[in-house]
Order: sequence, then structure tokens, then C-alpha cells
Amino acid sequence: MTKKQATKRKVKEVKPTNEQDSVSEKSEHEEDEDLLQAVKDPGEDSTDDEGIDQEYQTDSSEDLEFESDEEGNYVGVKENNEEESEEDDDDEEDEDEEEDSSEEAAESGDNEDATASEEKPSGSKALPAANKKESKKLIAQITPRDPSKPEYEDSDTSDEEDIRNTVGNIPMHWYDDYKHIGYDWDAKKIVKPPKGDQIDDFLRKIEDPNFWRTVKDPQTGQEVLLTDEDIALIKRVNSARIPNPEHDEYEPWIEWFTSEVEKMPIKNVPDHKRSFLPSVSEKKKVSRMVHALKMGWMKTTEEVEREKKQKRGPKFYMLWETDTSREHMRRIHDPVSAPKRDLPGHAESYNPPPEYLFDEKETKQWLKLKDEPHKRKLHFMPQKFKSLREVPAYSRYLRERFLRCLDLYLCPRAKRVKLNIDAEYLIPKLPSPRDLQPFPTVESLVYRGHTDLVRSVSVEPKGEYLVSGSDDKTVKIWEIATGRCIRTIETEDVVRCVAWCPNAKLSIIAVATGSRLLLINPKVGDKLIIKKTDDLLAEAPSQDVIENERIKTAVQWSTAEALEQEKGVRVVITHFKPIRQVTWHGRGDYLATVMPEGANRSALIHQLSKRRSQIPFSKSKGLIQCVLFHPVKPCFFVAVSELHSGGFSPHLYYITIIAILQTQHNIRIYDLVKQELIKKLLTNSKWISGMSIHPKGDNLLVSTYDKKMLWFDLDLSTKPYQTMRLHRNAVRSVAFHLRYPLFASGSDDQAVIVSHGMVYNDLLQNPLIVPLKKLQTHEKRDEFGVLDVNWHPIQPWIFSTGADCTIRLYT
Amino acid sequence: MEAENGEGQVQVHLKTKQEHYAVPDVPYAIEGSVATTELNIFLNALLQKQGSDGVDFDFLVFDEYLRGRLCDHLREKAISFEDAIEIEYVERFPAPEPQDCLLHDDWVSAVKARDKWILTGCYDNTLNIWTNKGKHKLTIPGHTAPIKAVDWISLNENYGRFVSSSQDQTAMLWQWNIDSNAVECISVCKGHERGVDSVSVSPDGQRFATGSWDTMLKVWSAQLEDSVEGTSKRPRESGVRTPKLTLQGHRESISAVQWMDGQTLLTGSWDHTLKVWDLNLEGIKTEISTNKSIFDASYSSLNKLIVTASADKNLRLYDARTNQGSVVRNTYLGHNAWVQAVMWSTTEEFLFVSGAYDNQNKLWDCRSPKAPLYDLLGHGEKVLDIDWSNPKYIVSGGSDNTVRVFKTKKANIEHMETK
Repeated sequence: MTKKQATKRKVKEVKPTNEQDSVSEKSEHEEDEDLLQAVKDPGEDSTDDEGIDQEYQTDSSEDLEFESDEEGNYVGVKENNEEESEEDDDDEEDEDEEEDSSEEAAESGDNEDATASEEKPSGSKALPAANKKESKKLIAQITPRDPSKPEYEDSDTSDEEDIRNTVGNIPMHWYDDYKHIGYDWDAKKIVKPPKGDQIDDFLRKIEDPNFWRTVKDPQTGQEVLLTDEDIALIKRVNSARIPNPEHDEYEPWIEWFTSEVEKMPIKNVPDHKRSFLPSVSEKKKVSRMVHALKMGWMKTTEEVEREKKQKRGPKFYMLWETDTSREHMRRIHDPVSAPKRDLPGHAESYNPPPEYLFDEKETKQWLKLKDEPHKRKLHFMPQKFKSLREVPAYSRYLRERFLRCLDLYLCPRAKRVKLNIDAEYLIPKLPSPRDLQPFPTVESLVYRGHTDLVRSVSVEPKGEYLVSGSDDKTVKIWEIATGRCIRTIETEDVVRCVAWCPNAKLSIIAVATGSRLLLINPKVGDKLIIKKTDDLLAEAPSQDVIENERIKTAVQWSTAEALEQEKGVRVVITHFKPIRQVTWHGRGDYLATVMPEGANRSALIHQLSKRRSQIPFSKSKGLIQCVLFHPVKPCFFVAVSELHSGGFSPHLYYITIIAILQTQHNIRIYDLVKQELIKKLLTNSKWISGMSIHPKGDNLLVSTYDKKMLWFDLDLSTKPYQTMRLHRNAVRSVAFHLRYPLFASGSDDQAVIVSHGMVYNDLLQNPLIVPLKKLQTHEKRDEFGVLDVNWHPIQPWIFSTGADCTIRLYT
Repeated sequence: MEAENGEGQVQVHLKTKQEHYAVPDVPYAIEGSVATTELNIFLNALLQKQGSDGVDFDFLVFDEYLRGRLCDHLREKAISFEDAIEIEYVERFPAPEPQDCLLHDDWVSAVKARDKWILTGCYDNTLNIWTNKGKHKLTIPGHTAPIKAVDWISLNENYGRFVSSSQDQTAMLWQWNIDSNAVECISVCKGHERGVDSVSVSPDGQRFATGSWDTMLKVWSAQLEDSVEGTSKRPRESGVRTPKLTLQGHRESISAVQWMDGQTLLTGSWDHTLKVWDLNLEGIKTEISTNKSIFDASYSSLNKLIVTASADKNLRLYDARTNQGSVVRNTYLGHNAWVQAVMWSTTEEFLFVSGAYDNQNKLWDCRSPKAPLYDLLGHGEKVLDIDWSNPKYIVSGGSDNTVRVFKTKKANIEHMETK
């Protein structure tokens, strides 16, 4: 404790001494000024000034001219004066600094100038007045060891202050040969003082009692007499003591900050809880920043820099950069290193051996290949020069560099193994037809009896009988299993289309012959049903609705006459134009007919129970080729069961009809209840021959006369899901099987092609279409082959009708 | 050309079940390339020592008929040539001879022979009775649609009773007085909603079963007097019979019905199944699923196997007793079109006949799947029905409006008789 107190006391004591110092400094400065004043007086001089100073003083008494004469470089006295004044300023600066230095270690010249001018206006003004005396002062200032200026008394000044010579820190012996030793601030030569010879030195050594304390200033070459203080200082430095004699090394230590750890807190207030908890606001800030970083709103400086760099953009890059960094090269599989250039051979030499030089023949050949230089053995002509010096600039240099760059640019970076992909492999894997059995594979039966081409065929819903319509103006009913023609019904015109009513509770065949639609009771199958059907068709329901003129002129319903009644014809619906197609709705009450020539009345819907016809379209959107009812959907059944009648089961009033409008080459799907267009399918085909809807109602198959079959997924798109070009000629007819995932198409190339068409319940899975079998047994007649195909409703059997007057069954 | 010649010699044992043709059981070394003819000559040479005249034999190697060269047969069966091979020989079934052609006015869709009478059903809605000598006895109109099946119920010196089924949804029960050649319709069996495709009379002649396009199997009484108890209250019109039993189970037309025994029925249907019905249980006993529609099925009480004709060219052999192993026991290839009719021999364990749309009848041995024993040619059009109820005659009717009668010389019976 005592020690610390002692040191404290020391520090305390130091302060007053410092103050005393500064005070004493000031007093000293005052003295200096006094001295300066005194210097003006040539007679008086500072006591400390010795030898050289005195010499200078004596010299200076002889005016400045003397100096200039000596050096021969002096410009003029005036300038000298100015110089002197400046020098004077500098001096005063020095003094100021000395004053300030105790408080400020650093100083700037401008400030000092300002202070100097402020502080010493009188002095600076006074100086030019006394030129001569100032020159003396200059000398005094050149000798920095003026005892009146205790430069190193308490602080060390910057070396720069003292520099009179501007040559810098160079070996001074460079100036050995010159009279001057450098240049002062005004770029005037600093003249070396006259150098005496050894005798003079010796004499001075003997005579001058201060010789031992005379040193040469290496900058100016002047001899400087060291003062006692200097010597004392040197002595102190030599003896490794602190240079400042006033410095008390053993001042008492004042312990401002104790090193001891106090057991009790100095403050009585305990740390606030906050200080232990992480700051919430900071956390918020940080998290906000982190979020911003994550979202990319904020960018780290690194990123910003990188972006900047990128923005600036590497306009040039190493073509083979990766070669230089192994890390990058590793990433390239089986890399190719940059192609190396051939090393220059003898021919490239400036002085090639004579055998490399071209003889005449070689030269001629080389020149001959001017147009195809790549064929040359060498791309240049070896030349001989006497010396390397005579080799001219290489004219092809740029071009060759460029070609080299191109080589590198176009050279592959990695060895690529050519993928050996089998074309077979790219074909989607289809199940083998063997797994897709059963499907028809062979012709089993031929139904012969017609005498002209058979246009149409339709199968009884139970699958025992078959009806066919032919150009020989007959309709024939066949027993499927035996091929026996049960009945032949003669009509008055060519039979274009036959359709067996799909409702098994009814025994009706719709026959389109000429412009008449006959509803025929085939009288096969269940007798009860036959009778019921007869009863139903016999009575005409009372017409309570007055039909409009447009329909009346288009269609007339009539009960068949006795002659026809015998044949089985029950109802005749006479149209105003030839009927091309007839199709039933799934419930068997509605049937639709198509008259391609009927313009805006080309499609008609007949309701059997009410003996009523409707024209669904008021405007003609094109030539209707084919119509189709959407298969039954139970969900629609509920909504409209109030519209039922007589002996028929409740009817589905909601019917979706699909009509192909031929001129626009598309298929339109209408909702007949809402009387609106639901969808329009684009076929991109000019002529549509037929269509068939999948029993689930979501897929539609369309056959066209331009050899294509189009599969539409109604849920998927209005464009075909798949276009099949299986036939070599116009496709006449397509048909979906009701139970098996099969469809078939008949074409004029006499082939019936059976395909697997699986529609999955999973909406995400696309239908699977696999062509299975081509059945080609029909014979060609007049460019016609197969005219119609139709499936057995239960068995995987297909019936096809052909121009060769036969119906064929394939099983 | 060693390989082609049949790899040298094969050691064989010759065996037979017909003892009068037995040869000493010693191994013979014969050329592998021998076929049936060489074996026949060889066997006849052996038998000649015993003093019998030339007989044709067929040879069975590992339960299958030898049809080509012995070496090929062995190779196909993967049997080592080193082993001693047992060859069983049977007297060859003599070829049936076409005997008669009975001309009809329309397609003949049903034929049934019993004793010396042949009953045929026709597409012109008539039934015809012929003698087996080819003499037309009677034409019976009555049905209003083509006849699809006929069967005899009983036949004696004076009376013959039979049943016919037609597409007019009825089956008719007839009694025929042979002496006066008068026929009487005992009753009309109404109940089916569509054409009746098949009919079969029970072995005891008390009942008959019909299968129809309405997917029903109905069992009727075949008695003269319908002994139906007074369950039905409405006054029944005379001569109309209602089914004793209706069995539902098939999903499509029943195309074949046959009694397996007094209480069991076999049906084949277009819905690709064979069903065995137990009439006591009034339900299905066994069901065999196939992959083709069945047009005809026949059950043999001799070997308890079922042979079917279906919507392809093949005949298939099924065993209703087991469900293990492959369902199809054998497939017989040979026809070129749908086979419409098939029937087992009632006396020969292994033989059956088939009639097909390729205008051919074929006589098969069930041990010879590759080729039939004989092709019975003659029909000019599709064969619609075939019958071999009378072991001496194979009768078939076709869409060429004829019934063809083939006489079969019962080989072993004749031999028995000669003995």
C-alpha cells in the first residue's frame, strides 16, 4: 500500500513540475525572443554561439553579396530577403511548435503558419526592415545547435522540421565532387563550407579548445559546436539513461485503476435482469434480416459484390479454364485436355538446315495448292535468314492465334460415349396381344344371301340374331350361331342403315331405306315381347301437341299398310330427303336420323312413344354426316323422369346428341335439354364416315375417309388423344364393344382391324390402345371393302359387312 | 443320316388287353423309324404263328396313339431311347362306312337315333322319323319355329315317345304309335322365354331337361300324365305342361344339356361355363370356367369325362371330378371351323364323334389329340348335329338338308360274337 501511495504521490508531483516546465519554457522563449532581438544587433551575440557562428557573423557583416559571389548562383538580394523572411517564419513556427508540442504531438504546417502570422505579426514585419541582421539570423538558424534554442529540451521534434537540405536521404558522398551539398527550400545550392587541409585541421585541433565538441552537420556540411547540454545529452544516451535529465524515473505511482478484485460490488444496485436476457428487439432485428436474406430481399455484401462483378461481366474467359483447376476438371467425366500445338521443328527455324528448304519442285507444288492450303504439307515456306535479327514480323501471327482459339473453342471438353439407343426401346411397352385375349382372331362364319353390297349390320341386344341391310333392297335377319337367314324383308329402296333397338324389352328394328324410316318388328326372340311391341306400335297416341310446319313438312308418321304389316313393318316415318343414318338412344324410345341433304333439317329426333319428331337444330352449321346419342348415365335419369308416357319405361329426357358437322370438319356435342353446344371436337379431317362412343361415355372414336381413326378423350381435350393410321384406305366404320375393352374398324382395304382400347376408371391414366388383329377375308368389289362393323353385344365377336354381299363373323 | 433314321434300334415290349391277340411278352428290338404300318406287319407276323388272319392294330405309346414314326413320338414325349418301351396295341376301330343320306326339305338341326329309328328335327319346323335303312316314316309338323333339339324318351315295339324343342320357346312331348304310324302331341311345355336350344331325357325316362336362350335350365316331367300336384290354381289348359324345376345360374344361352345320372345335370353355355347341377340340392355342384362359348358338351358315363365343342376349332376334354391341375385335360385339333356338335360313344370308352362347320364329322379317340381316327365326309354344308346313341350308327344332320348315316362295325363286339 505504501508503495502505491508513494507512486501516486509521484504522479501528482509530476504534474506541477510539468507545469513548471512549460512555464520555464515560456520564460525561455521569451528569452529567445529577447535574444532574437539581440541578434539584430550585430555587436551582441548569444553567449553560446561559438566559432563558426561567429565566423558567419563576421562573414555576414560583409553583406550577402559575398556569398552570392562565392557560389555564383545567387539570383538576387531581394529574393534572398524573401527567403530570409520565410526562413524567419519557419523559425517562428518552430518556436510555436515548441510551445504547443507539450500538448499536441502532431501539428500541421498550415495551422502553424496561421498561428505564427497571428502571433508574430510585428516580428515578421519588422524583419524585412533589417535585412542585414536577418542574414545573420539565418546563419544562426542554419546552425540548429543554437544554444538559445533548446530544441531537444523536453520534446523531440519531427526530423522534417530541421531539414534545410532537400536532396533527401541519399548517400551524401554523391556530392563529394561538387561545391555544394544540396539544395535548400528555394532550390538554391547549399554551398559546402571551405574545407581546410590536414594542417588546418591539426592547427585547429591544437588551437581550438572547442574542437572536440565540433561536429559536422552531414546535411549542410557546416561545423556545429555542441553545447554543454548536447554533450550532457549524448553522455546520458551513451550511458543508457533517459535523455531528459528532468525526467524522474522514480515518481510515486498513482494507482488510478486498482488491480485488486473487490469482493463486494462497488455499486449497490444488482445487475438488471435485462442484462442476462438476450435482447428481444435485437433478436427481432436479426430475424428480420435473416428472413430478408432468405427471401432474397436483402443481400450480403459478398453477394452484392459478386453481383456487381457479374454485372460488369466477364467479357473474356479462359476457353480451357477448367484445365487449370483440377477441382473443376474432376467434375467433367473423362475430360479431354487442351490439344497441344506441335512443337516447332527444324523447318520453322530461321536458319533451317538446307534439306528443309524447298527446292524448286516443292515450291511449285506449295504454290499450286494456294486454293486449298490445308492440303499443303507445311503451312509455310521455310526460309533462311542470316541472323535472327533479320527475321521479319510474322504476318500470320494474328490469324494463327485466332485459329488456335477456334480450335480450342470447338474442341470437345469431355469424351462422350455415344448413346446406343435401340429404336425399339423407344417404342412404348405395349402388352402383348396374347395377354389381351379374348379378341376375334379367325373368321368363323359367313352369312351369305344378299345379292348386293351389304351396307349395315346390327345385332340383337341378347346376341342371338343379326339384322343386315343391303343395296339389294332387302333386310335380312340371321341366326348368329348357325348363319341361317331367318327372314328376309323386302323394301322399296336401297337400305342404307339398320339399327336394332338397344332396349331388350322391345323388338324393333329401325331400317333406313330411301327416304323412309321403317320400324320393323323382326318377330324373333321372346314372343311376349314381340306381342307387346306390336301392341305398342299398333296404337297411335293422340297427338295433343300441334306440330309446327317445319317439322310437318319434313316428317310424316304413318302406320304401315297391310302388305307391309305382313312383312313386319309396323310404322313408317317418311322423311323429305334420303336418310343416311339411323341411331337409337340407349333406352329405345328416341331415335335420330340423318339426311345429309336436308340442309338445316338434316338431323331429326323421333320419339317413338309419342310419335313425334323434333328438329334439334334450327340453323345449319354444316352438312351433318353422323349423329350419336350419349350412352345412358343414371345421374341424369333422376332429373327428368316426369316426362314419361304410356307403355314405355320412364324416359331419359336428357339426351346428349353428338353431331358431326362435316363442312367444318368437327364434332359438336349438344345438350338437347338445355339446347346448347357443350363441346366442339376438332378432327382435322375432311370426311367423317362414322363414330362410336365408348359405353362409359367419355371416349369417342371417329373414323374418317382419309384413312385415319381418331380417339377423342372427351374429358381431356378437344383434339384427338390419338390418331391411328392402321388402314391403307378409307375407314368406313368403327365400333366399340359394350363389355370388352375392344374396338374394331372396317375399311375399304377389306380389312377389319381389332384393337384393344382400355379405358381406365382412374382419370389420370390415359386409355391404352393396342392394335391386335387384322382380319382380311372380305373380297374387294368396286373399290369397296368392308362397309360396316358391329360387335356382338356379349361375346368378343365382330361382324363385318362387305361389298362382296357377305356378312362375316370373326371370333 | 443316323438321326433322321431314328437313332437305331429301340427295345419294345408289346402288350395288349385283348387277350386273343396277345403275343409273348419278350422284348423286341426294332428300328426307331418304324411307323404304324411296319408295326402292324410285324405284329401280324407274330400273330400269324398262332393262326389268325390279318388284323389292323393301333399302337399306344405312353397312353397316346402312335401316329407318326416311333422315334418322333418318343422325342416329342422326351423319352429315352435306352429304355425298354411298352407299346400297347389295340385292334383298330374299323372305319365307319357311309350308309345313307336322308334328304330333308330344310336344314337338319337335330338328330337322334334309337334302335332302328332316326328322329330328326328340321328348320322347316317339322320332325321326321326315319328307319335306319333310310326309309322315311313320318313328318310331324307342330312347332312354329325351327326345331333345335330332339330326344327319345322311350321306345318299344308299339310306341315311341320323344321330345322336341324349338325356337318357338316350347318343347313338345310326342307319342308315336308305330303300328298305325300316328303321332300325338302329348303336351306342349311352355315356360321358356326364348328358343329352347337343347333337350335331354333322364336315364330313367321320367324327366327331361331343357336349356334355353333365356339362360334358364328347366326340368320337366316326361310322364304321359303330368303328375303335377295341384299347386297351380289357375285352370291349366290341356296339354300344356309347366316346368317342375327351373334352375337359374347361367348368364347366357344354355347350348347343351345332358344328364350325368338320375340326379345330376351337365349344362354348357355361351357364357363360357360348364355347370354340373344337383337336382336334389337344386343348385350348382361344380362349375368349370373356360374361355370360349360352349356350343355342345357331352359326358361319358364310361370314363366320366366331358368333351366340349366351343366357339373355336378345338374340342376340349374336361374332368368335372377334380378342380386340381389343369382344367383342360386335352385339346383335340383337327377341325377347320366351329365345332357344333360332339358326342361320346355309349359303348367305347375312348371314342367320340364331332360335327363341325367345316362340313366334316370326325371320329376321335381321346388318346389321340393330334389327329382324329377317321374323318367322316359326306356333308356338303355345315354339320349342325351328330348322334351316336345307337352304337351301330353315327348319324349327323347338316345345313345341306341331309342326314348322313354312317355304319360303324363294332370291332370287338363282332369279335365277341364270332368267338
